[in-house]
Amino acid sequence: MDTTAQPQYDNGVVKYLTVGAIVFLVIGTFFGTFAASQLAWPALNFDIAEITFARLRVMHTNTVIFAFGGMTLMATAFYTVQRTNGVKLWSNSMAWWTAILFTIGLLLTVVSISLGMTTGKEYHEQEWPLAIAIAVVWTMYTFNFVMTIAIRNKETHSHVYVSNWFFLGMMIAITYLYVVNGLAIPVSLFRSYSMFAGVQDAMIQWWWGHNAVGFFLTAGFLAIMYYFVPKQAQRPIYSYRLSVIHFWALMFGYVWLGAHHLQYTALPDWTGSLGAVISLAMIIPSWGGALNGMLTLSGAWDRLRTDYILRFLIISLAFYAMSTFEGPVMAAKTVNALSHYTDWTVGHVHSGALGWVAMVSIGALYHMVMKLWKTEMYSMQLINFHFWLATIGTVFYIVAMWVSGIMQGLMWRAYDEYGTLAYTFAESVAAMHPYYAMRAFGGLLFFSGAVVMLYNVVMTIRMANARASKPVEATA
Amino acid sequence: MSSIEHYFSTDWSALTGQDWAGLIITVLVFVGMLITFSLALRPSKRKELEEQKHKILEDD
Ligand code: HEM
Repeated sequence: MDTTAQPQYDNGVVKYLTVGAIVFLVIGTFFGTFAASQLAWPALNFDIAEITFARLRVMHTNTVIFAFGGMTLMATAFYTVQRTNGVKLWSNSMAWWTAILFTIGLLLTVVSISLGMTTGKEYHEQEWPLAIAIAVVWTMYTFNFVMTIAIRNKETHSHVYVSNWFFLGMMIAITYLYVVNGLAIPVSLFRSYSMFAGVQDAMIQWWWGHNAVGFFLTAGFLAIMYYFVPKQAQRPIYSYRLSVIHFWALMFGYVWLGAHHLQYTALPDWTGSLGAVISLAMIIPSWGGALNGMLTLSGAWDRLRTDYILRFLIISLAFYAMSTFEGPVMAAKTVNALSHYTDWTVGHVHSGALGWVAMVSIGALYHMVMKLWKTEMYSMQLINFHFWLATIGTVFYIVAMWVSGIMQGLMWRAYDEYGTLAYTFAESVAAMHPYYAMRAFGGLLFFSGAVVMLYNVVMTIRMANARASKPVEATA
Repeated sequence: MSSIEHYFSTDWSALTGQDWAGLIITVLVFVGMLITFSLALRPSKRKELEEQKHKILEDD
């Protein structure tokens, strides 16, 4: 192949976002582990308002979802859109502005939350000036992505590869969901009130909330899967047509699911039923997609023994399949009557968040580090070590939450022979202690894995930079 | 009326404008989904679509 015809890609901004994502993974999982430890040992809030559980929890969710997840999505979207379309970014400087403003916006979000400023809307806690700024930055990201596809050479790249569809679907959906859910009337610089009230507020909130999961944490990371699994496995995706079906089923289906968060509330009963039915239907495309990724390895499963990065990518698909089965089951009203408001939900969230989102991201980030700095990793053994820390940590976390969640649900609904509650709420809290300690331990393992990753990546970059500067010294 | 009939019976005259909007959107989305699925699964499209999966292996 004529390598001189290869275009140069804009890699600088992708490098910045890649390292940024890893740093935020460390910070976000530190907040998570700290929050988990506070639930097990409440004295750890040290009576400091800025780090009490109520604030720390939201600092955690914003750091892991938007800072770590968002930076991973930006890094991978800017990386893949150039390669799949054979062009540089439409605007490298706009990409840099997007990356820097996004970082500043998220740091301010975390600080403002720790100072107690919040809209009180889950996954949309930023007060209005920050929310507007983030929406503008997100639009810049989307616009640059779309324009990069638009300027591709349509002769050589007539078809747009499916990972771009997933990215674009995610970008468009998140823009309108975030903006509509955030509509509010400001009363001061740091205080606003939602335009919606009562059941409408609840419905809009979960229309956004579940789609933050469905589009941000699923469609976006599926884009990553559809590019990085074939690349790392060096084999084409098992079925391209299945990926197209997967895409459209997700786009048509996900927006209906939000109401399953509001079973047995003031919402009309049928909305919850609709949410549950479509949730169950989503098992089919989700499993189709997970199998599509896994079967890419068919005939080459032995690669998992030696390729630790591939292991991250493939185990993420196992967790994706598991949580897209568990979620619909929890959406069914009978199960929801037990699981809702309990730790089972938190366990479900983290089997998706740790097992799927974080693992697929980690696989893609390692892959990009090697490609961007044109080097081997400093230590493959450390990647293997990270893999086991992350996997065992995740298993500890979700098993602890399954047990504590189901136990909570059963304790809360137990009656004695006189029809009065068998347990007080405080008794159910006390019964959770061993499981909260176990979750904190799982979190510590997962967090340690993130630290190992950061160390390995920093050493890799130093090694690559030292190697790159050698010939210059030699000629000087 | 049997219980099944009762379950599925609808008082059409009671539907508000919003109910109709929701109903029409739901049906349109369903039809849209059927169309896209059949387009993607058309046997004549198979080769053309499956060819796309090889390109990314050569992009860097
Ligand atoms: C070391 C790893 C982690 C630990 C120890 C951890 C711990 C926690 C804790 C203690 C909570 C609060 C649960 C409660 O209110 O009872 C929480 C909530 C949450 N975390 Fe994590 N987390 C970790 C990683 C992640 C990651 C990587 C993501 C996403 C990519 C994530 C997403 C979430 C979400 C969405 C919630 C809110 C759940 C809900 O509202 O039900 N977490 N986490």
